[in-house]
Amino acid sequence: MRVKIISLPVLDQDHALAFYTEKLGFVKKTDIPLGEHSRWLTVVSREEPDGPEVLLEPAPRHFAPAKTYQQALFDAGIPYTQFYVDNVDQEFERLGRLGVEFSVKPMDMGTVKLAVLNDTCGNHIQLVEMR
Amino acid sequence: MTYYHHEITRIRHACYANQEQLNTVIRIRRYMDHHFERELNLDLLSRVAFTSKFHLLRLFKKYYGLTPLQYLTEKRLEKSRDCLKAGMLVSDACFSAGFTSPSSFSTLFKQKMGLSPAAFQKRAISAK
Repeated sequence: MRVKIISLPVLDQDHALAFYTEKLGFVKKTDIPLGEHSRWLTVVSREEPDGPEVLLEPAPRHFAPAKTYQQALFDAGIPYTQFYVDNVDQEFERLGRLGVEFSVKPMDMGTVKLAVLNDTCGNHIQLVEMR
Repeated sequence: MTYYHHEITRIRHACYANQEQLNTVIRIRRYMDHHFERELNLDLLSRVAFTSKFHLLRLFKKYYGLTPLQYLTEKRLEKSRDCLKAGMLVSDACFSAGFTSPSSFSTLFKQKMGLSPAAFQKRAISAK
């Protein structure tokens, strides 16, 4: 078994693709139509194009409990997932200039530094830097 | 402040209050990151950390969940994977990553990755 894909629920796939590529810097890997309102849409890290793919799945649109779960996590500020970066402070500055909002500004947390951003797709996302 | 922010602040105070210990293990991790290709052992690392090797061992395990040697091995394996993906010979990848014996490297690599360095390289290159 290998980890190839992680799923991330998003409210709107077009909006999510724009946010994850234009703001966070991911690269689109797969985009396959699945009926009228859904796509098998994945992005990958620009630094690790052969690494795990992030599936931007529209579950909250089609399955009410998924939306309820996503909303509950969001309201509590709990990150849906996390991505590793080389420098959290630099990403905080860069993304701040692009208008990205953070619910947790860069803070030391033992052997890591972290920050939490709003992906505007219904999720909080944690950025982590190994210290 | 969100529930999550409140919780991580609480955990930080509960688990990461000793900044001196944190500075020690972070310094040692960075030292291994920068010198993984050299011959490193606990005696040397404890001298770099200005502490006893048993104390360092305990601290590193406490904060990173691994012993320094386990961390170093993971770091070297990561480096060897990068070398193999770049098309380097298995023996060259072995030495570049800081391993000293190609046969031990191949055994460890297969144990950790589930396939030999050559098979890993073949798969990585064919996936490009």
